[in-house]
Amino acid sequence: MKLPPFEVHRPSSLYDASRLLRDLGGDGVPINGGTELLLAMKLGLAQYDHLVDLKRVPELRGVRPISTSVSIGAGMTHRELEGSPVIAEAVGEMPRMLAEVANVRVRSVGTIGGNLCFADPHSDPATFLSAVEATLVLGDGSTSRRVPVDQFFLGAYETVLEHGELLVEVTVPAVPVGTGIAHMRMKVHERPAVTVAAKVTLERDTIVRARLVVGSVCGAPVLPQAIDKLIGASRGTWSERVREVAAASAAAVAPVADAEGSSRYKQALVEVFVRRALDAALANASGFTR
Amino acid sequence: MTQLLEHPAKSSTAVGLDVDRVDARDKLAGRAEYTGDLHPPSMLYGAVLRSQFAHAEIESIDTSGAEATDGVIAVLTGDDLTDLDPYYGHALRDRPIIAIDKVRFVGEPIAVVAAKSQTIADAALSAIDVSYRVLPNAATLDRALAPGAPLVHEGPVRPGLAHGLGKLPEREGNICYRYGFSFGDVDAAFARAAVVVDDEYVFPAVYQYSMETHTTIAHHRGREITVWSSCQHPFLVRQEISELFEVPLDDVRVIVPYLGGGFGSKSYTKMEPLTVAISRKAGLPVRIMNRVDESMVTTRRHNMKCRMRTAASAEGQLLGRVVEMWLDTGAYADNGPRVTATAGDAAPGPYRWEAVDVKAQCVYTNTSPAGSYRAFGATHLQWIGESQVDEVARRLGLDRVEIRRANLLARGGQVRPGAKGLDADLVGDVDKVAAALDWSSPRPLHRGVGLAVGLLAAGAHPVSMATVRLGADGGVSVLVGTTELGQGARTVMGQIAAEVLGLPPSRVVVRGTDTSYTPYDRSTGASRSTTVAGKAVEEAAAQVLEELIETAEATLGVARDELVVSEGRISGGGAAMTYEELIERRFGLKGGELIGHGHVGPRGGSGGFADGPVFWEVCVGGAEVEVDPETGIVTVLSVSTVADVGKAINPLLVRRQDEGAVMQGLGNALFEEMRFSDDGLLLNDTLLDYRIPSFEDLPASMSCTIVENEDGPGPFGAKGCGEGALAALPAAIVNALADAGVQMTELPLTPERVWEKIHSQHEIPKNDSKEERYQ
Repeated sequence: MKLPPFEVHRPSSLYDASRLLRDLGGDGVPINGGTELLLAMKLGLAQYDHLVDLKRVPELRGVRPISTSVSIGAGMTHRELEGSPVIAEAVGEMPRMLAEVANVRVRSVGTIGGNLCFADPHSDPATFLSAVEATLVLGDGSTSRRVPVDQFFLGAYETVLEHGELLVEVTVPAVPVGTGIAHMRMKVHERPAVTVAAKVTLERDTIVRARLVVGSVCGAPVLPQAIDKLIGASRGTWSERVREVAAASAAAVAPVADAEGSSRYKQALVEVFVRRALDAALANASGFTR
Repeated sequence: MTQLLEHPAKSSTAVGLDVDRVDARDKLAGRAEYTGDLHPPSMLYGAVLRSQFAHAEIESIDTSGAEATDGVIAVLTGDDLTDLDPYYGHALRDRPIIAIDKVRFVGEPIAVVAAKSQTIADAALSAIDVSYRVLPNAATLDRALAPGAPLVHEGPVRPGLAHGLGKLPEREGNICYRYGFSFGDVDAAFARAAVVVDDEYVFPAVYQYSMETHTTIAHHRGREITVWSSCQHPFLVRQEISELFEVPLDDVRVIVPYLGGGFGSKSYTKMEPLTVAISRKAGLPVRIMNRVDESMVTTRRHNMKCRMRTAASAEGQLLGRVVEMWLDTGAYADNGPRVTATAGDAAPGPYRWEAVDVKAQCVYTNTSPAGSYRAFGATHLQWIGESQVDEVARRLGLDRVEIRRANLLARGGQVRPGAKGLDADLVGDVDKVAAALDWSSPRPLHRGVGLAVGLLAAGAHPVSMATVRLGADGGVSVLVGTTELGQGARTVMGQIAAEVLGLPPSRVVVRGTDTSYTPYDRSTGASRSTTVAGKAVEEAAAQVLEELIETAEATLGVARDELVVSEGRISGGGAAMTYEELIERRFGLKGGELIGHGHVGPRGGSGGFADGPVFWEVCVGGAEVEVDPETGIVTVLSVSTVADVGKAINPLLVRRQDEGAVMQGLGNALFEEMRFSDDGLLLNDTLLDYRIPSFEDLPASMSCTIVENEDGPGPFGAKGCGEGALAALPAAIVNALADAGVQMTELPLTPERVWEKIHSQHEIPKNDSKEERYQ
C-alpha cells in the first residue's frame, strides 16, 4: 500500500516519449493522470522503475472539430472534456457520460486516453466510445494507425498497443439528426457495475441502424449481436423488439462475478439497462427530450 | 458550596447561540496540528509486520535481516516483553501488546521496526522471516459457535481495569461475555398474543472510517513515558500504559492534539502500547501511523446475528419480546462486552412490555477486533425491534405511528429493571418526526415512509473534572479532558464557561488534553461530554464567578444581591469594575489569577448522576425511500430527525451532529460492510470497494428538529446528542423500504441484496406497469 520508488521522465514530444518507452522496455510505463497506474502500483499489482510522464507532450492536447467529427487529444482530462463546447455541440451525450466518471478529483487529473489504455473492465468511456463508433489514432511520432475503439481492447487490462506506441487522439463522429445516443450505468462502489451505451438511427420512423455496447460486466466491452433484431422495426413494433433485444443480450453475456455483483445479478441488470438505454436512445432519435 | 442560581441575574452571552467552531479557521487553513504533524527531536518511524493468517502458531521469527538493515534502530517482537505482564484490555485483559506465540487474526502485529525513515522501516519488514503453523480457525460467528470450535483464547478470563460490568462470567467456548435480563411471564404474554413476529437478522461488520488513521508517537525514557496520540480517552490510555509498563500514573503523560474524527474508533487503547514498547526498545521517540488498511483491522463495529420475537394483542398492545443475539467481537474483546450490554439494553425498545427476555452474547472469532462505534448497540438492535413493531401494525391493520403512541413509555417509565427511568417525551418526539415526513399523505408505488424510536444508554461512567482559570487580562482558559474530535467539544466547553462568567465565547480558550496538567476526565464518548464534562466546567466557572463576586462585595461595599454581572464587569452601588480590575484589586498587582475547580461523579458532585445511565439518549428519526424493483437500488428521498437534547448549548452544532449521524446511518443502512474471506482476510480494505456515503448520497431533504425540555442532568438542563440519529436511521430506512414492499432482515441494503429479496418474493408489482417512471 506504499508507492515504491521510481524515476520520472518528462519528454516534450510524442517522438521522444515513444523512443524513451522503447528504450526502457519492460521497466518503463507511460503515465498521465496516474489515477489508475499509481493505485495499481500502491497495491503492488504493477511495478515499474521508470514512469514516462506524458503531460508535456503537445500532440496529446486539444479538442478540434474536423468536418463531421471531433478530434480529442488523448491527454485531455475528463474534466476538461466535460466542459468542452465543441464536444457538447457534436456529441451531446458525451459530457454527461464524462461527468459521471469516478469523482471530481479523479476527473480533474485522469485523462480520456489513460482510461482507455489502462483498459479497466469497468469503464464508462470505453463503452460509450465503442457505441458511438469512435476511432483511435495510435502513433509513435513518426508513423500512425487508426483503430476502431471496439477493436482496441483484447481483454481486461489488455489492448492492441505495441510497446512504445501511444494513444494520440480519439476521433468521435458527430451525431447526425435522426440518430439518438444513450448511456446508462449503475455503480455499487467506486467503479461501474454495469454500463450500457446505445446508438440508433431512424429514417421515417424506422430503425435503420442500431448499435449496442455492454460494458463493465466482462473483461472488455461486448457488442451483443441481438441488436440486429431492431433493424427495420418501426415505431409501432420497436418497443417489443427492444425487450427481445434486452433479453437476448442478457442471455448472451457471461458477466464476471466480483465485488460489484454476482453473475446472475449482473445479467439481470444488463437486461434492465439495455432496455432502458435503447428506449432512451430511441426517444432521443425521435427528437424527444427525456 | 457554590449555588449557581443565587448569583445575580444576567442575560445569555453564549449558551443557546450558534457560536462558530473555535477550531474551524485553523483546520480550514491547515494550521491545526494533529499527531501526525508532530515531530519530537530524534523521532523514529515505525512499521508493523502483521499476520497473514487468522489463526496460527508462531514457530519462529527471524529479525536479523531487518536488524542488519542500514537505518534500522530496533526491531520488536513478543520476545522483548518477557519482563512485563504484556496483556491489556479495559474490559477483558486478553490482548498481548504484540503477538506472543500465536496470532489470532489477519493483521495482528507480529513485529515492529523502528528506523530513521518511514521508507527504511517499511522496506525492512520484508527482511523479517516468520514461520507459522497454521491452525484451524473460527473466522465466522457460526464457526466460532459450533460445537468443538477452535478456541480463539484458552486460559481463564482476566477482568480489565475499567470494565464497569460488575462480576464477569467465565468464558464458555468462544463466548467471552454474556448479558441479559428478563421480567414478566414471557410464556403467558406470548400465549395470549394475537400476532407474533419472529425472524432472524444479520448486521454487518462496519468500519468507523474517521479521516485520520490511528497515529501515536511514544517516548519511553526510562522512568517517564510520553505519548502523543489520536485517542479519545487519554486518561484511560494513561492508566493502561501505567499498568502495562509498570510506571506510576504521574510518570505517564498523554498529550492529545486535534483528532481527525473518532466515532469510537479511537476510544480506549489502540496503538499506544505497541508504540510505547518499540520506543522502550529503541530508546528514542517512535511514531506509528496506521495506513487505512491497518486502521481497518485495528477496530471495527461488531457484526451480529439476532433472533427476535415480538408478541402483540389483537388491539395492538405490545405484550412481550424475546431476543437472543450474538455479537462478533473478533480476536480480542476490546469494548465488546459493553457493546453487548448496550445492545441488550436497546433490545426491548422504549415500550411498556408485560414481559421481556433478552440474552446477548459476545463472541470471539478469528477476525479483527471490534469495539466502539457511534451509537453502538442501539444501531445494532433498533432496526430489528422497530421493524417488528411495524410488522405487528401491518398485520393488525394499524397505523404505525398510532401503535407507537399507544405503547411508548411515558416519562419516568421503566426502560430496564434497575436503571434510571425514562427522561424524555418520546411520543412528542415521534409526532415531530411524523409531521416532518408528512406521514399520512399518499405515496406512489415503490415509495415508502418509515420512522423509528429507541433509546441508547448514554453518558458512560460519570466522572469528570475541570479547571477554569481567569487571568489578569480577563481572559479565561478551560482545562478539561474532553477530546476535540470534530464534534465541537472545545467550542461548547468554552460556551459553558463564557455563559457562567457572563463573557462572550471569544474570551475563552479551550486547549487539548495533556494528562500532566489537564484534570481527569473518564472518556470522550457515549454522548457524555456536554452533559458530564460540561457540568464540571460549569461548576468550575461558577467557582471563579463566586470569587469575583466576593471580591466585588468587598471592593464596592455592596451586598451580593445588589450586584449585577454583565459583559465582563460587576456593578453595584453606582460603580462598576471589570474582571481585570477586580483581580488587580484582589492580588495588589496586575497579575495572579482566579482558579475554579469542578467535579462530577456518581456520588457527590452534582445531582442527576447517581443512577445509571447518565441519561437515555433518544434515537428517533424517519425517512422516505424509493426502491427501483428492477435493480434493487434504494434511494433515500428525505430524512427527518429529532434531537431531544434538553438544552441546545449550541443549536448549530446540535444540527451538525444530527446531520453527521444521519450520513453515517445512511452508510450503515445502505452501503457499508466489511467482507471477510473464509480464512478471515478482509477483502475490501480500500475505498474502491468499501463504500462510504458521500455528498452524492445526501437525501434531497434533511430536517432536524431540536427539542429543548431542559430535562437533562447536564449544564442548563442539557443532555448529550449526536448518536441517536445514527441508530434511528437504518431502522427508519428499513421500515420505509418495507412500506414500499420489501421487508429486509439483513444490512446493508445493497442493491443486489434488495433485488434478491424482491425476486424471491412476489408482492412487488412487475415493472411493466410502471414503465414510464424509469424512462
